Amino acid sequence: MIALEAKGLRKCYTAVPAVSDVNFSVRSGQVLGCLGANGAGKSTIVKMLTGLSEPTRGQVLSFGASIHKDLVVYRRRLGYVPEEPELYSFLSGWEYLELVGTLRALEHRRMEKKIDALLELFSLAPHRHSAIGSYSKGMRQRILLIAALLHDPEILILDEPLSGLDVVSAMVVKGLIKALGERGKAIFYCSHVLEVVEKVCSHVMILRKGTVIAYAPTVELQTMAGRSSLEDAFIHLVADRDAEQTASDIVSVISAA
Amino acid sequence: MNASSVNYAKEFWERLQQRPFPRLVRHCVDRIFSGGESAEPGELDPGIGTVLALLATPGAFASLFLTDHYGSLILWLSGRSTSFDPYAMSSSDEYFFIVLAMVVAGAVAVWKWDRLVPDRRDYANLAPLPIGSSRIFFANLAALALLAAVLSLDVNAVSSVLFPLVVCWQQSPMVFPTFLATHALTVVLASAFGFLAVFAVLAIFMALLPYRVFRKLSVYVRCGIVFLLMVLLATSFSVPQKMQRLGHASRAWTRLPPPAWFLGLCQTLRGLKGSVLVSLGDAAIVGLFGVLLFSLAAYSLCYARCFTQAAETPSNLTRGSARPTTLAFRVLDVLFLRSPFQRAAYRFAFRTIFRSEEQAFALGGFLSLGIVLASQKLLLAVGKKPPPAANALPSAELLSVPLILGYFLILGLWGVCAIPAPLRANWVFRFHLDPRTRECVPLARKIILTFVVPGLTAFCLPVYAHFWGWRIGALHTALVAIWCVLLMEGLLVGFRKIPFTCSLPKFKSHAIVNALLLALAYLAFTSATATIESWALADPLWYIAFVPFLLGALFALYFWPKTMLDADPALLFEEQSVRVVEVLNLGS
Repeated sequence: MIALEAKGLRKCYTAVPAVSDVNFSVRSGQVLGCLGANGAGKSTIVKMLTGLSEPTRGQVLSFGASIHKDLVVYRRRLGYVPEEPELYSFLSGWEYLELVGTLRALEHRRMEKKIDALLELFSLAPHRHSAIGSYSKGMRQRILLIAALLHDPEILILDEPLSGLDVVSAMVVKGLIKALGERGKAIFYCSHVLEVVEKVCSHVMILRKGTVIAYAPTVELQTMAGRSSLEDAFIHLVADRDAEQTASDIVSVISAA
Repeated sequence: MNASSVNYAKEFWERLQQRPFPRLVRHCVDRIFSGGESAEPGELDPGIGTVLALLATPGAFASLFLTDHYGSLILWLSGRSTSFDPYAMSSSDEYFFIVLAMVVAGAVAVWKWDRLVPDRRDYANLAPLPIGSSRIFFANLAALALLAAVLSLDVNAVSSVLFPLVVCWQQSPMVFPTFLATHALTVVLASAFGFLAVFAVLAIFMALLPYRVFRKLSVYVRCGIVFLLMVLLATSFSVPQKMQRLGHASRAWTRLPPPAWFLGLCQTLRGLKGSVLVSLGDAAIVGLFGVLLFSLAAYSLCYARCFTQAAETPSNLTRGSARPTTLAFRVLDVLFLRSPFQRAAYRFAFRTIFRSEEQAFALGGFLSLGIVLASQKLLLAVGKKPPPAANALPSAELLSVPLILGYFLILGLWGVCAIPAPLRANWVFRFHLDPRTRECVPLARKIILTFVVPGLTAFCLPVYAHFWGWRIGALHTALVAIWCVLLMEGLLVGFRKIPFTCSLPKFKSHAIVNALLLALAYLAFTSATATIESWALADPLWYIAFVPFLLGALFALYFWPKTMLDADPALLFEEQSVRVVEVLNLGS
């Protein structure tokens, strides 16, 4: 069943479209990785998928219906981790999760139990009553992950969820994404880290200057590009310039008198 | 000035900017005006030019309002001589300008409180660079000195010329230069005193308290200073008269607030004689140097403790404990927070008001103003009459006290709700809420009611019942409650924001009209109501006078929202500015 579908998405902030003619779908149980260089249009797509921004043309469908038909119902099914952990710094981690859970109208007692359990599992329990302002980026990211999972969503949109996480937490989250996929969740996963996408995602979509240049199962994409790893395939498809040459040029500029 | 000298000055300035120390000073000035740990893009953070223009405004307006006071026609009409001693006659206005200079400079120090001393972010950015710690110390000190100097000159720039002009308009030409020089010098020194005094408090708190405790207490200390500044402003009405009554009292400076010292200095410089004036003038000079030395010492101490030791002190992440407010929220949930939206947003609003510095500080400011005005009424009432006898009725001044407090508390809460908590974090509401929700008004109503009604009732009923009996206590409490509800309902017409999640309101052309309406509402809400109530307590027939007002208010509250039917009912997260030019698209 197609849980999330983009049909001919186009978004224009200026005369030049930020995103143009983007089509893809995510079935329940699928993890779709979205790759692209900075400015490729990943965040614009995420904003349209979450309903925070409306497409100039095209539409986003969830289970066959436009998300804008009833955004509230759609968002009940959706869990979202934004790229930047923008949180209210004067609230404690526990209070922030309570805010999100209450806004989602979760039953209070069950919600509290769930929050406590998740804080424990994400190693945040000792600091659950400290102000978020004192949290590290990784801790904030974990709070966002818990907030996105609190209501057991059917669809997950994750924008760089591993950003700032330590090695152990990152491994936990990678395992979590895989497990959620296996349990039938539809996951849209944006990242710059190619090896994580390679390990976690069943399908990959590559963006370049706002358009989709590749969209296929991860293994097929490597084969199609004739490369052994996703990183090689990505560089082959996206890179405008030779990375090694650029690195060498930078060294020359630094060492110039 | 010819072109070559202008070019030379430009080049000199550019060369100066390229040297490390002046660049560091510029960085420190920039961070004071727009930066610091708590700075949020898109929020209340005007640039240097706007700030300087705004600071000069109160003095300019105050000078202009005095033109009729010293105009020969007004003096002639009021039966006073048109030839007067400018120094003696202007002393109470001079005192007002000194207070104003001190209060505005102090208020700027409170406003920029977080940015006056380099913080952890500066440490993270500057410490890894090959700059000695002492250089950063002196660069920030130079920036502070520059700020104090610019502030002192700017706050008083317009009034230093306008006020002497207004007073000396019809005096001999020799009076004006002396008056201008002494007035300008005094107000500039008073501004410097105000700024340095607040800075010294900040520095000493930072030096003595652990960083985490300082952050927690900071907002309360700031509110306390704002309250003291308001009190200082309120002394403008009484201190000049008190000074005249002091005669030849010894150690007069101990009985008067600092602005009086500077008035003494000003009058002494103008050649007025008197032991009191001389002692006050001496106190001003000693006080200024004292506060300068004290703030320097406190700054050195807090710099050594907070900046150079920033890497050595532990981060402020601690194992906090659960807050006791949770039970209170549960009770409120059962009693009147019906929907999940209300429960979530109420908790959020409550926590924001008490924990977010901007909001707590702004509400503290409103409340301080209310307390100062209420105290003045109280003092006026106590000064007028002997303590009330058993059968005496409360005067209008006494009746107006809870009304003043209620007015400022409601207005403060309403105003504070418009100040965004970090705006970038409001995505959580945008994402989770139905934009068509119509619960913003009930939510705001519940927030205001829970903050205002229990407190005012707890204060009003027992106090008035104790002094004037239960009947008057109950009647007055009921009237205060009804008036508060009406004011609140009036303010909430068309309200469609979740408190603290919408960008700051843009300036609209009707903002001035609204401000005037609020000032009129204050007079109607406090003075007029209290006066009619005092008559009604003596003769109950006067209660009928409230009926047309009440009916009018109810009628307006019923029909006013209906006129807004065309307005977009969706939740508001971004205030729109009014377009000056509408494009008609006639070509399409």
